[in-house]
Amino acid sequence: MTEAPLHEPWEPLALAPPRWNGALRAIAGYVLPPAVALTIGLIFWEVWTRARDISILLVPPPSRVIDRFLDRPGFFLGEGMTTLYEALLGLALGAAVAIAAAVLMAHSRLAERALFPLAILVKVTPVVAVAPLLVIWFGFGLWPKVCVAALISFFPFLVNAVTGFRSVSPGAMEFVRSLQASPLQVFLKLRAPSALPYLFAALKVSLPLSLIGAVVAEWFSGDKGLGLVIFTANYQLDTPTLFAAIAVLAVIGVTLNTAASLVERRVLFWHEAFREQD
Amino acid sequence: MVTSEHILVEGLSKVFPHRGRPLEALRRLDLRVGWGEFVSVIGPSGCGKSTLLRIVGGLLEPTVGQVHIDGRSPREAQKDKDIGLVFQDPSLLPWRTVLGNVRLPLEVNRIDSHRPRFQPQELLELVGLSAFADYHPHQLSGGMQQRVAIARALVFQPSLLLMDEPFGALDEITRSAMRYELLRVWQTARSGRPKTVLFVTHSITEAITLSDRVVVLTPRPGQVRAVIDIELPRPRDESLERSSQFLDYTQQLRNLLKEEPQ
Repeated sequence: MTEAPLHEPWEPLALAPPRWNGALRAIAGYVLPPAVALTIGLIFWEVWTRARDISILLVPPPSRVIDRFLDRPGFFLGEGMTTLYEALLGLALGAAVAIAAAVLMAHSRLAERALFPLAILVKVTPVVAVAPLLVIWFGFGLWPKVCVAALISFFPFLVNAVTGFRSVSPGAMEFVRSLQASPLQVFLKLRAPSALPYLFAALKVSLPLSLIGAVVAEWFSGDKGLGLVIFTANYQLDTPTLFAAIAVLAVIGVTLNTAASLVERRVLFWHEAFREQD
Repeated sequence: MVTSEHILVEGLSKVFPHRGRPLEALRRLDLRVGWGEFVSVIGPSGCGKSTLLRIVGGLLEPTVGQVHIDGRSPREAQKDKDIGLVFQDPSLLPWRTVLGNVRLPLEVNRIDSHRPRFQPQELLELVGLSAFADYHPHQLSGGMQQRVAIARALVFQPSLLLMDEPFGALDEITRSAMRYELLRVWQTARSGRPKTVLFVTHSITEAITLSDRVVVLTPRPGQVRAVIDIELPRPRDESLERSSQFLDYTQQLRNLLKEEPQ
């Protein structure tokens, strides 16, 4: 073992050290342009509503919306947290059930043939149509919202997880099997990591969907949350509040999406889509 | 039990069921490989040489016939961790580091801690990659990835190494360098116990450079057409490829591969 290699030992390539100015450049490159575009859009909107003297009941200028938000920031953020909590809990529930079903389906074609049509049934049934039923079953608490968010998150996770657990490189599978690995080891060492890119894709689709689910459920059975705020404001023709609630929802959605992308980038550094360019 | 032959293949036939027309890959194939021998199997593409290797490795069951590896069935030898496998595709796990990939067999078989084994770090040194232990496969070249696959196959110090066109996907320059690299690793790794290699290739040069014997298969269904002893001195290096002996072997093998099937 101590014999010296006949060839020149390779020198590791010098890897660039982490750079803070890299992060700054990313902010300048990816955050600044949309922020500027948004600001310009808001200015036009402000000028347009004032110049045309458009009724605040139809389209309030951004300044009025911001005023409304700043009147009661705690209220909007608190209701936002409620909706966010319902959405994420539902997402987690839907993802857990979907992944469990996918594990079963990835290991058995029979299970897939039996369960997949049912999953499609869940998918094609408009969740809005089911929401009133869930109110009858679960009343006005947390659970009807969690259920709607879970239902709407379920299918993307199911489809992606089934594909992901199956998309194992055949060579790696043959090698791991030749080691006499148990099915559990094959799953943990091979199938689960192979499925990660697919699960992140599902997450990015399901995050905004789960917010939709929670808001829709709040319309039907709202005791709190941004869905109820929107519903009430709509009823009272309080358009600035309506817009403020929508804006808070949008910010929540963008934040979730960005967070998911950042985590994805960290976890899937080895995947073709995220490899550092040399 | 130590048998006189390391690998004994007797009357091996393999037929793949194939929608109405069964595909006969191997027909009554016999083969003996001695302890510590380096034997290459060469033949036209589709002649069943990979099928032969997979059956010897316990990845496929033969239709008819038997394989004995030191008196055991391939499956038993596989359970004993006595077979190392290297394929054309290195099949490394992209989310694991180089060291993590070499360590994978040990993680899967944690219980058999009494088995002889190489330390993963030691193996990386052997294949000249110790500086790359913490790298991920996508940061390595194809040749380096295949070195990792070779290191991974050697973890349990198997007495038999099965290689299925391991350098087939590499460019010609890397490929040539990898041959001598493999010979070096083979010489080093077998210093303790005999290390037999069964090597599938479609490169005549590769077969001559590496082997003690070259087994030429016929086109499908694969049968042994000829077995050529390569009597070139070891250790071997590039200068050998220009010797007249080497050219004679090349010509001989080329003729054997050219012959029309009966």
